[in-house]
Amino acid sequence: MTHKGFMNEENQLKTLPLWLLWSLATIVLWGTWGLVSKIASSGVDAYVNQLLYTAGLAPLLIFVAWTVRKNAEAEKSQGRAAGVFWAFLTGILGGVGNLAFFQALVTGGNASVVAPVTALFPMVTVVLALLFLKEKLGRTQWVGLTLAFVAIYLLSA
Amino acid sequence: MHAWLVFAVLALVLWGITGITQKLSTNRISSERSFLWFCWAMVALSAAVLIVAHPHWNLARAVVICSVAGGALNGLGAWTSFRALESGGKASVVISLISLYPLLTVGLAVLFLHERLTLTQTAGAVTAIAAAILLSIESQPKIVA
Repeated sequence: MTHKGFMNEENQLKTLPLWLLWSLATIVLWGTWGLVSKIASSGVDAYVNQLLYTAGLAPLLIFVAWTVRKNAEAEKSQGRAAGVFWAFLTGILGGVGNLAFFQALVTGGNASVVAPVTALFPMVTVVLALLFLKEKLGRTQWVGLTLAFVAIYLLSA
Repeated sequence: MHAWLVFAVLALVLWGITGITQKLSTNRISSERSFLWFCWAMVALSAAVLIVAHPHWNLARAVVICSVAGGALNGLGAWTSFRALESGGKASVVISLISLYPLLTVGLAVLFLHERLTLTQTAGAVTAIAAAILLSIESQPKIVA
């Protein structure tokens, strides 16, 4: 690559919005998670996988704890207890969801099938929001919901 | 019904509920604090697993590395998704874009694990990704707390 070509590419990268770079990073990180989870499931049960998964979270937990401590004064304290409760519940539900995900891989589900099925979780969020929060669904979401059921049927074939 | 499908749907349901509880949390506290308590809950759950499940520890090094890497990758992914939303990306666009992640898993699984999808399953994977994108559009629930 010429120096000029390299500079052009560098300038192009600079014009990419930050949110797009973070989004692409998320795709790479979560996309790879499915692969490594399947590899791990060949030699470890769902429980140990969850334990080691949590160990992998530890460095990030320390970093986020430091960030929260640094910004603690700027944050309002009203409603904090309820917010913490919901966050904790999110973690418990997410963790049990992880156990089910790992078990799906251990019991023979291919990563290439289990990952697309479990990625349909927004369908549950949308239905719950419809039922309990009395939200209205847009036409796009109704189509998405229908497609989600079709997808599960096709993937389980 | 296949056992793996039952567990996959269970994961789907539980993660789907977290879409609501996470929103209820971030309506009251910062996304960082919410994520911190999410992680503490994972630690608590793991402690319970350690006490209740009596897991076996005869593990190959590669398996341990993959499991630990899984936690790091998923956690970092959650963190970068927050960063994407905080960096000015529209929620509907960011979440729709992120919904493409199974496409990478499918590609990597075919490439490295030599998994093969039937034609029906390929159609299912494509439909699933399309469905996830469509569901993400306008899916920011307006919760009156």
